Amino acid sequence: MGAISAAEVSYIEGGIAQNLRSDGRGRLDFRNIAITTGVIPQANGSSRCKVGGTDVMVSVKAELGNPPKGRPSHGGMQIKVECSPTANPEFEGRGGEELSLELTRGLERSFLGGPNGSGAAIDLSTLRIVDGKTCWVLCIDGLVLSSDGNLLDALSIAVKAALRNTGLPKVEVVAGGAEDEDPEIEVDDEESSQLDVSNAPVIITLTKVGKSYFVDATAEEESHMRSAVSVAVNRKGVVCGVTKRGGEGLEPSTIIDMISVAQQIALTYIPALDLQIAAAESVDPDS
Amino acid sequence: MAKRRGEVAASYAVDANSGVGEAAFSRGPARLLTADGDRHDGRQLHECRLNFLKTGAVSSAAGSAYAEIGQTKVIVSVFGPRESHKAEAFSGIGRLNCNVQYASFATSVRGKANQGAEEKEFPVLLHKALEGAVMLHTFPKTTVDIFALILQSGGGDLPAVISCASMALADAGIAMYDLVSAVSTGYVGKEVLLDTTLEEEKCSDGEMMVTFMASRNEITQLKITGQWPDATMREALSVSLDACAKLANVMRECLKEELAGVDEDE
Repeated sequence: MGAISAAEVSYIEGGIAQNLRSDGRGRLDFRNIAITTGVIPQANGSSRCKVGGTDVMVSVKAELGNPPKGRPSHGGMQIKVECSPTANPEFEGRGGEELSLELTRGLERSFLGGPNGSGAAIDLSTLRIVDGKTCWVLCIDGLVLSSDGNLLDALSIAVKAALRNTGLPKVEVVAGGAEDEDPEIEVDDEESSQLDVSNAPVIITLTKVGKSYFVDATAEEESHMRSAVSVAVNRKGVVCGVTKRGGEGLEPSTIIDMISVAQQIALTYIPALDLQIAAAESVDPDS
Repeated sequence: MAKRRGEVAASYAVDANSGVGEAAFSRGPARLLTADGDRHDGRQLHECRLNFLKTGAVSSAAGSAYAEIGQTKVIVSVFGPRESHKAEAFSGIGRLNCNVQYASFATSVRGKANQGAEEKEFPVLLHKALEGAVMLHTFPKTTVDIFALILQSGGGDLPAVISCASMALADAGIAMYDLVSAVSTGYVGKEVLLDTTLEEEKCSDGEMMVTFMASRNEITQLKITGQWPDATMREALSVSLDACAKLANVMRECLKEELAGVDEDE
């Protein structure tokens, strides 16, 4: 994402103001989205999502772990995003760390729900096994393979698809009913159950240039963005997390307007994505 | 310098929407609200914690400030502007170098607070909250260091750091468009809890942090976690903005008193 000249900036801005961007899209048009699921055989669920030139991959591994503190009947979810230097030489060494952190926190805010675990992307109580002792912990790992803008939105689609693709092995508690005993658990990999992801949100980032805002920015368009708002919305149109990006201040009324525009977009965007994820699932030989 | 000048202790309540009936409270978890619908520390839903602000806390720094907001205690020092490191690319505008750390005794479990992804994000958020407010073009090619230390974590740690940092910047004489004040808000059931404590933070259904430039009417940073019903989100946002504006007044008052003290001494 190198620097671009003043002439290029004014070209991009002019295009956005006239609702015709350099690749022919209008302000509220997305690039082509391609989703494949079940791409990582070692994981319990996985997906790969391409949005134009952006390419991300997400794996979900289910591990047995301890329930979060103070919430004995809940399971856990962990999210980590890595930016590979194969995507951009700037990501080598510590270079990708700040971006990784921003993406990780952006996804955490949207998928993990509030501090008490309510409103998470999947009902955390479906991950319980033995209250207060053992539960499923879903480790969600994102990887950026190629970066051409709008990484957070692409990752959120991939996380949703990967969660839908995830099969939790059937477990049986063999022994350990007593208070201070560790329960013994048998995992049956043959049978698995699917997660309910109907509440999982998708992130829509609106970038503001001049007086208007637009979705699905390319790397070029992002490189001179001053402010953007990433809104996570589920299919009911409920806001599940907001992250403001860029340092420039925004008026409160503008932010409220941007959030409601994202909610409007979500009403048609999410059902279309759900159909696409379902189609990807049906061609996946593993499921 | 005059002793204890520029210290302001103030409590301020936001005009709560008074239409909330008692029945509404029964739905919220009993853990966070008492039978009367008040919070456990005696505050009403839309009431901020007592605060205490003071600038000039560190004499060797270019500017510094100390803030107590309820149980949360933070100290922020600002150094510079200094020459940017050679390794950094040339920049026609100034840079802010932000650092936020917990003291090892700040939390109930020693030294655990610096490790999570959430805490690692603090410097990034501090930077984003302030960069829109500081006139970076007034100190090209140079860097201003902002170091924040959280002495006691009592909820709303980051908002306290942000408000305190903007006072420290003002104390250092760094040109700014406006003071940035910040507040965090949570919700339980249908009730919006302003300026959450540590206990309330842990139990809430969702949390929101707003950093606001009140005179310019601009939000510099906003982060919302968890699922928020539309009406609750709007209510929380307007209550937060109101609280930020009032906090900014207290901050401004504190800076003015400090200056008045300097004038008298000379």
